[in-house]
Amino acid sequence: MTSIAAARIDGWRRTFRDPALFTTVIVLWALLALFILFPLAKLLARTFLDGGQVTLANLAAILRDVNHRQAFWNSLLLAALVGLCGTWLGFVYAFAAVRANLSRAWITVLDAASLLPLISPPFTTAIAMIYSFGPRGLITYHLLGIKGFTVYGLHSTLFSETLTYFPIAYLTLKPILAGIDPNVEDMAFSLGSSRWRVFRTVTLPLTVPGLANAFLLLFAASLADFATPLILAGNSFPVLPTQAYLQITGLFDLKGGAVLSFVLLVPALVVYLLQRYWVSRKHYVTITGKVGAQTTIKSLAPWARAPLLGACLLLAGVILYFYVLLFYASAVVALGANHAWTWRHYQVIFTEGLKAIRDTLVIAGAGMPLGGLYGILLGYLVARKIFPGRQAMEIVSMINYALPGTIVGIAYLIAFNDPPIVLTGTALIIVACYVFRYSPTGIRATVALLQQIDPSIEEASQGLGAGSGTTFRRITLPLILPAFFAGLGVVFIRSMTAISATIFLVSINWTLITVRILENMTELSLGPAAAFSVLVVVIVFAVIVAISGLLRRFRTPGAVDMTSILGG
Amino acid sequence: MSAVGIRLEGISKRFAHRVKGEVYAVRDVSLTVQPAELLTLLGPSGCGKTTTLRMIAGFEQPDAGRVFIGEQDVTGLMANQRNIGFVFQNYALFPHLSVFENVAYGLRVQRQPEQEIARAAGDVLALVGLQGYDRQFPNQLSGGEQQRVALARAIVIRPRVLLFDEPLSNLDAKLRVHMRGELRELQQRLHITAVYVTHDQEEAMAISDRIAVMHQGQIVQEGTAESLYRHPGSEFVAQFIGRTNLLSGRVRSASPGEIELEVAGQHLRLPGDAVRATAGQIVRLVVRPEVIELRPADSPDGIPGTIVSRTFLGEKAEYQVRVGEDLLQVTSYNPVQRGLFTVGQPVRLHFPAEGIQLLPGGPA
Amino acid sequence: MPRFGSWLSRLSVPMVLGCTLGWAAAPAGAADTVNAYSIWPENWARPMFQEFEKATGIKVNFVRFSSGEALARVIHEKNNPQVDVLFGGPVETHAAGIKEGIFEPYKPPSFNVLPARFRHSEGQWVAIADDPLVFMSNIKFLKEHNLKPPASWGDLLDPAYKNMIQMADARTSGTAVTRIFSVLETYGRDEEKAFDYMKKLRPNVQLYTKSGGGGTLPVGLGQAGAGIFFIVDALDTKAKGYDVTISFPKEGIGTSAEAIALLKGAKNPELGKKLIDWAASPAMQSLYAKYKINFVPAHPDVKVEASLAEVLKGAKIFPIDDAFAGANRKRIVERWINEVLNPK
Repeated sequence: MTSIAAARIDGWRRTFRDPALFTTVIVLWALLALFILFPLAKLLARTFLDGGQVTLANLAAILRDVNHRQAFWNSLLLAALVGLCGTWLGFVYAFAAVRANLSRAWITVLDAASLLPLISPPFTTAIAMIYSFGPRGLITYHLLGIKGFTVYGLHSTLFSETLTYFPIAYLTLKPILAGIDPNVEDMAFSLGSSRWRVFRTVTLPLTVPGLANAFLLLFAASLADFATPLILAGNSFPVLPTQAYLQITGLFDLKGGAVLSFVLLVPALVVYLLQRYWVSRKHYVTITGKVGAQTTIKSLAPWARAPLLGACLLLAGVILYFYVLLFYASAVVALGANHAWTWRHYQVIFTEGLKAIRDTLVIAGAGMPLGGLYGILLGYLVARKIFPGRQAMEIVSMINYALPGTIVGIAYLIAFNDPPIVLTGTALIIVACYVFRYSPTGIRATVALLQQIDPSIEEASQGLGAGSGTTFRRITLPLILPAFFAGLGVVFIRSMTAISATIFLVSINWTLITVRILENMTELSLGPAAAFSVLVVVIVFAVIVAISGLLRRFRTPGAVDMTSILGG
Repeated sequence: MSAVGIRLEGISKRFAHRVKGEVYAVRDVSLTVQPAELLTLLGPSGCGKTTTLRMIAGFEQPDAGRVFIGEQDVTGLMANQRNIGFVFQNYALFPHLSVFENVAYGLRVQRQPEQEIARAAGDVLALVGLQGYDRQFPNQLSGGEQQRVALARAIVIRPRVLLFDEPLSNLDAKLRVHMRGELRELQQRLHITAVYVTHDQEEAMAISDRIAVMHQGQIVQEGTAESLYRHPGSEFVAQFIGRTNLLSGRVRSASPGEIELEVAGQHLRLPGDAVRATAGQIVRLVVRPEVIELRPADSPDGIPGTIVSRTFLGEKAEYQVRVGEDLLQVTSYNPVQRGLFTVGQPVRLHFPAEGIQLLPGGPA
Repeated sequence: MPRFGSWLSRLSVPMVLGCTLGWAAAPAGAADTVNAYSIWPENWARPMFQEFEKATGIKVNFVRFSSGEALARVIHEKNNPQVDVLFGGPVETHAAGIKEGIFEPYKPPSFNVLPARFRHSEGQWVAIADDPLVFMSNIKFLKEHNLKPPASWGDLLDPAYKNMIQMADARTSGTAVTRIFSVLETYGRDEEKAFDYMKKLRPNVQLYTKSGGGGTLPVGLGQAGAGIFFIVDALDTKAKGYDVTISFPKEGIGTSAEAIALLKGAKNPELGKKLIDWAASPAMQSLYAKYKINFVPAHPDVKVEASLAEVLKGAKIFPIDDAFAGANRKRIVERWINEVLNPK
């Protein structure tokens, strides 16, 4: 008997002997099969099956279309550029925050500015961009006097997505830069290196895996972004997610949309696998022994500090400007025509838009505990328990997270409209979409937290006579509660702000604020669109503050930082 | 409750290893621990001692063999069904529970009445000297205090056996010596069977009734500290228990009751009952540093050597002496009165026959 | 605080289990509620439905989608209709729907009073309003470029408009479809000439918007110079205070009836019929003026509001033949996508 077979049999034996574990594994697999594998299978079937025959004709038809091919390359180009620009911006930002000896107040300003794009509904920067740039834009025309500036196209989509996603790079790189012991840099100085040389030969190389990671995260985020190009890309720069959306909602070509989203699936998976199995496995910083005594950081020349800080503040200023403009648009009668203050738009969203607000809160509220529980259960199982198919379970659980929302939305639309499982028109389909798409953050937080908690703590409980159910409830659960709250927080926030998947799933019975924002924008009700956006930002911000406060109260090892989790 | 023994019958545990494929962590280990005995599993890291302990506890399942606690075959039972007390290397205290709740945990799992829990937990905390610590949290305690909580938590459920996995290795040297005394005293007071895992031979010798030395997943020798020291069965045991010099010698003649050896050009006669040897055979000798006597170079006989280094430690002096190609360690007690040798000085070494053990088998 | 964590953990399990999914899976909808997809923007549809509820006690539960999106949904949901009525939208949308077999023919009491172009012969749909297309331009833009409001289709080809015109995207918007058929009619249904014109116009188009009115605000703000919109959207923009002017091409421009239809397999057919009865009658159409909705009423008994009549005076407006449009819509839209939107 080989050892692998022996281990497998041992795994089965243990699983069967532990009824709580056995039941949980079965239930989780059933859920994963229903809400991740089944829709994906339906999507693939729609792409590759025609009348029961396997065919490449659908794919070929789409790929033959030069516009779709163009959209594919455009998507990759945009994603690569956003990855580069966002990573660079994030690095500058992180470098300033960690290495410029800033006071707490400055860092708070930088953090706040970087948090805003992470918690905003889509379109917010896009809306502000439209009003700021263009032939009569507030900035291009009124401020700079440029005429005939075109706001639609690659450049503005790139600008908007970079601003929206660079905080991911910032949050990825900041801890890495902070983890580089200043003493290492001191060492290099003592060997006679110049500041630039230290930066080039010590600081930068230590950050390279982090930069690669940030790049891939941004690449994936941009690849999946559907809202920004919808508003800003215009007609000359089609990208895949938007094309797939228009193919389905406009042309009623579900098959075409399915095939387009399948085309998107390939680069998304490649990037995900690279990020997961290559970059994230590399050790960022080798810290041997204790971090030395705090030394003053000398890696930044005094003359360089001011321009660096200035650049960061400019960036923060642009972001803040966008949000001020958004608020302004929500509080005047008609931006650009009548700037009288009014609360009318807020009245509108709290009367006519009340259903959307209520639906969104109900869906987010329902998804929140379910997502939190699902996240810690699955995270706990894959991190701590030995059972057959453990690794497969982890991989499957990450699929919907790794795929662009458009794919997931279309897959759900195809899978749950016809018997055997009809869910269209229900809130369940939206809740399920959010739970299985955004809980992986909670899963990873749980796994990370459990890695800091010695397994012997659970063994101690077992040794004292507690079964696995009791141990989980009385020992593990309290210890991973921070991950639970972080996980449910992310599900809630994304439920409030996401649109790419669920735009396909809203119905007469259940609608969402983000979809209302899009509708309002296409209906030219900019005021209500802005008011909705402000409302979402306020709610999400309040939830983040509440959860961060909650997390600070735990006396458990490994505090989970709410904002940093949003970056993943 | 009277103490029960532990019996391991041919247990094995394999692990899948990325490079080597299938690796035995523990291989066909059989062992009996007498009731109320404290037996130590001693060995270097990776020798399988912790895996063996964890199989006794039920945290690991043996691939082969059986585990008995008392007369009960517990091989198929989970850890929570075995009624054991386990003390972890890192204590594994529940960080979110107070000291009292940590200790009360096992009683709560047993659904004991609240009064009984309060009484029993209070008694045990008093027993380990932690009265008044009830409301503290683990992160507010020193290492030694955490150790006592872990101990209290393990014994409060009146386990059938106590299992210790390197419980003192996270403490500083002084506290370690103090705590091992306390542990031993407590075990004897509770009259409970205990298995103790350590890689520290001094700790093992100080605390144990018996020691089982493990090497590469197997028990290579078991016995009292004294018997292991005096009669090591292998080079490994000889080197692991105490400091030692290993020398090769050739058997000149062997007759019942006496063996004549040639070691470094000197003839030695040893009582030969223990080892069967034939003339011409090469054997290994264990010579403890403290049995070697150094004499000035002009002494009539002994093996000639040269002092290479000297460490003066007050009550003793430790020398390294070059003999031929070997470096021997020699410990000389009461060196001030006996006279110190200096580095580079030629000396003669005397091996008293009664201080030398022969290892079986040929050269390693 | 000390046992905060364990206390929360005790609470969280029942909290989660308490969140059962039963309610989430249950679709909404009471007995006296009719469900509709509205193609009319919410700020016009809502007051109409509120008046309907006031008049009949029947509540209308609705979501707004642009016409292409609404049609796509209705077709997708054919086997499991989520709504009873498709409310509003240019009649080409409904004409395309007939081919898919998604409607239940129904003739409301006003049916026989309506002019022939405001009703489908079998009652697959009836019109509730008429909505001509117009040119709308930003006055400041015109002044800066010394232009007069465009008075012919050819005027829009002026290089001064380069990259400054917005109009709707035919993939999602019925406005765009009506516009394309207007051009076709203007060229006597000569597709080659019509597409030639549209291709020439392409460089002047800054953006094809997702919804019909999507370009009105940019034109109002001056972000775009001009556009082709339905008159309702154009007049609404003007009413909001934006500095725009409305003009008509001398060759004529199309108008599209706004229609309503009952869906096959509707879960509340009787309520849906009541909504159609009401919408097709003066009861609703006489309310347009009150709510400043600048549709031209379809029912002959309802007078066109004075200021709207003033705008329309002298304009050459022709109806789009819905049979022709319905039969050719898919082909024409695809041609438009391939030759105009994404020229090879």
